[in-house]
Amino acid sequence: MSPSFGRGAMTNSWQDMQNSECFLIAGSNCAECHPIAMKWVNRARAKGAKVIVVDPRFTRTASQADIFAQIRPGTDIAYLGSMINYYIENRLYNEFYVMNFTNALYKVSKDFEFKDGMFSGFNPETKKYDYASWAYQLDAEGKPVKANSLDDPDCVFQKLKAHYSRYTFDVASSISGIPVAKIKLIADTFAAANPGNIFYALGMTQHTTGVQGIRCYAIIQLLLGNMGKAGGGIQALRGEPNVQGSTDMANLNANLPGYIPYPTNQEKTLNDFARNKGSVQHRPLVALLKAWFGKNATAENEYGYQWLPKNNPSNMPTQTHFFGKMEEGQFKLLLNWGSNSTVSIPDRKLVARGLSALEMLVVADIFNTETAQFWKEEGLNPAEIQTEVIFLPAAFVYEKAGSMTNSSRLIQWKEVALPPLNGVHPDLDMLDHIFKKVRALYAGSTDPKDEPILKANWDYGPHEAEPLKVLQELNGYNDTTGKPIATIGEYLSAPVGTVSTGNWLYTGVTPEGQNLADRRGNADPTGLGLNKDYAFAWPGNIRVLYNRCSCDAQGQPVDSRRKLIWWDAAQNLWVGNDGPDVVDKTKGPDTPEGKTGFKQNPEGVGRLFAATYMSGAVATPTESIASVPIRGAGMTVDGPMPEFYEPIESPTSNILHPSVQNNPCAKIISTEFGNPGEYPYVLTSYGVVEHFCAGAITRNIPWLNEIAPEPYAEISKNLANKIGVKEGDEVEVSSARGKLVVRALVTDRIQTLKINGKDQETIGMPWSWGFASLSPGPSTNNVTMAALDPGAGTPEYKCCLVNIRRA
Amino acid sequence: MAKKMVFIDTSLCTGCKACSVACKAWNDLPAEKTRRISSYQTQADFTPTTYTYVRFKEEYYDNKMHFNMLKLQCFHCDDPACMKACSSDAIYKTESGYTLVDRDKCIGCGYCVANCPWGVPKIDEATNKMYKCNGCIDRVENGMKPACAQVCQTGAIQFGDRDELMPKAQARVAELQLTNPKAHLYGDKLMGGTTYVYLLQDRPDAYGLPLNPTSPISLTLWKDIVHPLGGIAIGASAAAITVGVIANLLRGNYANRAKNIAESHDEGGM
Repeated sequence: MSPSFGRGAMTNSWQDMQNSECFLIAGSNCAECHPIAMKWVNRARAKGAKVIVVDPRFTRTASQADIFAQIRPGTDIAYLGSMINYYIENRLYNEFYVMNFTNALYKVSKDFEFKDGMFSGFNPETKKYDYASWAYQLDAEGKPVKANSLDDPDCVFQKLKAHYSRYTFDVASSISGIPVAKIKLIADTFAAANPGNIFYALGMTQHTTGVQGIRCYAIIQLLLGNMGKAGGGIQALRGEPNVQGSTDMANLNANLPGYIPYPTNQEKTLNDFARNKGSVQHRPLVALLKAWFGKNATAENEYGYQWLPKNNPSNMPTQTHFFGKMEEGQFKLLLNWGSNSTVSIPDRKLVARGLSALEMLVVADIFNTETAQFWKEEGLNPAEIQTEVIFLPAAFVYEKAGSMTNSSRLIQWKEVALPPLNGVHPDLDMLDHIFKKVRALYAGSTDPKDEPILKANWDYGPHEAEPLKVLQELNGYNDTTGKPIATIGEYLSAPVGTVSTGNWLYTGVTPEGQNLADRRGNADPTGLGLNKDYAFAWPGNIRVLYNRCSCDAQGQPVDSRRKLIWWDAAQNLWVGNDGPDVVDKTKGPDTPEGKTGFKQNPEGVGRLFAATYMSGAVATPTESIASVPIRGAGMTVDGPMPEFYEPIESPTSNILHPSVQNNPCAKIISTEFGNPGEYPYVLTSYGVVEHFCAGAITRNIPWLNEIAPEPYAEISKNLANKIGVKEGDEVEVSSARGKLVVRALVTDRIQTLKINGKDQETIGMPWSWGFASLSPGPSTNNVTMAALDPGAGTPEYKCCLVNIRRA
Repeated sequence: MAKKMVFIDTSLCTGCKACSVACKAWNDLPAEKTRRISSYQTQADFTPTTYTYVRFKEEYYDNKMHFNMLKLQCFHCDDPACMKACSSDAIYKTESGYTLVDRDKCIGCGYCVANCPWGVPKIDEATNKMYKCNGCIDRVENGMKPACAQVCQTGAIQFGDRDELMPKAQARVAELQLTNPKAHLYGDKLMGGTTYVYLLQDRPDAYGLPLNPTSPISLTLWKDIVHPLGGIAIGASAAAITVGVIANLLRGNYANRAKNIAESHDEGGM
């Protein structure tokens, strides 16, 4: 979403779902994996909203749908592309919105080309694109040239139209298995609803084309004018209650907290970084360094910039890569917090190999997970594994205080409900103790490489670390006033180097003497579920991102029943029920700032075409470095417009371009692959409502084991007949990488699909089991494949080829 | 206390089973060893330690999947067959509409098991007492929702005063009938009117429910007609046992008690 809108976060909120007229739930099984969503979906349904579910299986979510379509795993872009084509060809798009809030009119470089499945600029050796040709045509001042009408052959809109003209309903149906009439019904139903809402989760992201699938959603929502509106948007449903928080704190390898691009080894000085990334990134980086290094961060020492390790852009391992790096001997020690990789990593034999090569593994968890006892797994020889494993018993979620940031970007504070048992500690406490101990060991060192440890600002309390001090550090302090930063506006207007913040997005959460994350005001005077006095949403307590787009050219709400913000001419101010997501609240709708719908994008508009672009942006001159008023656009590494590619293991050939079967940029880690002759069926893996992720907690709760005691393979009745299996029989599911035996669940909820003229079977398997716990079971990740989306690094868990036979 | 009602709207149920876990948590009931039976169902039937569970039924016709999920528990009938059949006056009704068992009086005769049209009551072989959903009467009488309703996120389990909730249930049916003529209420007129009332989207047997649950005629005859007379002559409890014995003899339930219990475990009851 970031390359489309400027921010990667879910755009609206849980409560806001009640405002929708239609839901496209595709790549999410929210009734099972995000059950709370259904509470709000049902409120919308009670008012007449329609629910469309697209999924490889008829799920429990599908049981609630008005329209259900069964899709072949990994083919979403095919049918979504046909919806884009249909909307453009039949002028079902929102013309005012497209003209004003998207880059539809921007002229694309003459060098841009798409031919035979490849965009211009591909380097087959590196498997990467050079983005230069994906740029706009620029005028003398370096600003994008805009066309006069959507008919200009150079403009983004026409590029989009040409690109998706190949995506007819017939082509989409052949690829996806969804009947033509049903795709049309979905397209018509969704376009007729205003506002329409899209939900996705791992069903959409766990593909080698995951990012581009989400880009399709962005294009559809921009075309239909659903972004920035109550009841509209794109909801990236986060399963773990603090996934948004962990992303905010830089769990992506190219980020620092607050989505600051991580400095690379080309940016040897802070000035290099500022020149490359602009003041817009320089400001938060300086504030972050000041938070991390405190008084040791000064203008003279580049605020400690040299103490930050730098990224090597050509070597950016994600979690799945790490185990290979361990095997190669790059790591001696792994601190493993709350992750059960032995169950959760695809082609999971890679994990045991990696962990076996470590000198030490530290696992902090509440139960003795499979990862914590990986050497015990059948088939491994403990005598040959020299890894020393240390287990730290961790406090459970209710035994520790702190903040969690949910899908709605809502930072919510919680207190300890129950103190942990003796010898059990909150994660923060453990990290605090470890760091203090490590620092003591380095005391007195004059080696420059030890400086980051010795110079770090680390003050969360003398004994037990206080989580509120962490949140206050994230909020940050203003050196001039000597007080916590009160608002994001104060942070943005302060001279660089005079404020610190551990995460600039969180500024304003703890103004002096307050913890806004701890607010529980439930008032909702508008009935729109904005609940402004409940906790604190970043940025600046805005509940619906990009809400400027909910207004017309005069700055007045286009939807009288769902008023978010408006321009108040009397006050000369943007005001409203929600916090205005505008560049400057005092700049009216007749100014360039007041027209900007997507202020985080360098163009200020939503990006139908993810062009290469760096622009000037609002930046305050600084004392130490001349202002660099540039802002780079977020890029999609595998193309400016989504293109359909078959999954890495696919039962059929790519009918759009047979010579380019898969995503040419996909990152492949697994080394064994199967062909459809030997492995004719498509496996899709998923979570279930009864267990949570890798099951580390839930498989140790007897009541949950009672309602979901074992994994299974869901197969159609046709497939069951073919292999001579009936409900409950044991079956062996195998891929080129491994196998497992489970019992068959024979069901009508999976039907045989017609793909490119041939019958195709889908097999569904939950993945939450492992060899340990109160309820052990075989792991589906024996057979899945480690092939990653090139942009996000997310593995393609959702489709691989398998065979199945009676065990 | 006003008469209560629990409205189970199957059109909103997603089969998450949170209700069955919450029931076990609140009532402090142990987990049982299970295997998946079919679809996503793992609990076959009520047991002395399973008061509520979710039944999954899959039907595919007209190119459409019908995935029916039904949370089951005691219906708390207004005119309960179990109470009529009870040989020891252990089963009683509350003013609020709940059917409860006094385990100090229960002798484990199993007549309730044999006579409940929904197969709800179960005898624990160890204590020889009957166990079933108590409607979370301890919560309800203290102004709280039953545990199952408390945790239901989708709004499929609603709790309230019968006077207020029944019109809402009827309105909901009317709304659904606009697009689905099969939608109907189940329970409101059965067994004197049940406290737990369902909205079904299909015929009852698509959910594995009996079409016309009734009390056996023998029970009605003996308990409602003979019992009052007998009570005058020989004292209430003796009469109750007598009536129960006769009523159940007529049905042959003595011999079948153990078999009934065993079968209901095997077949998923009802």
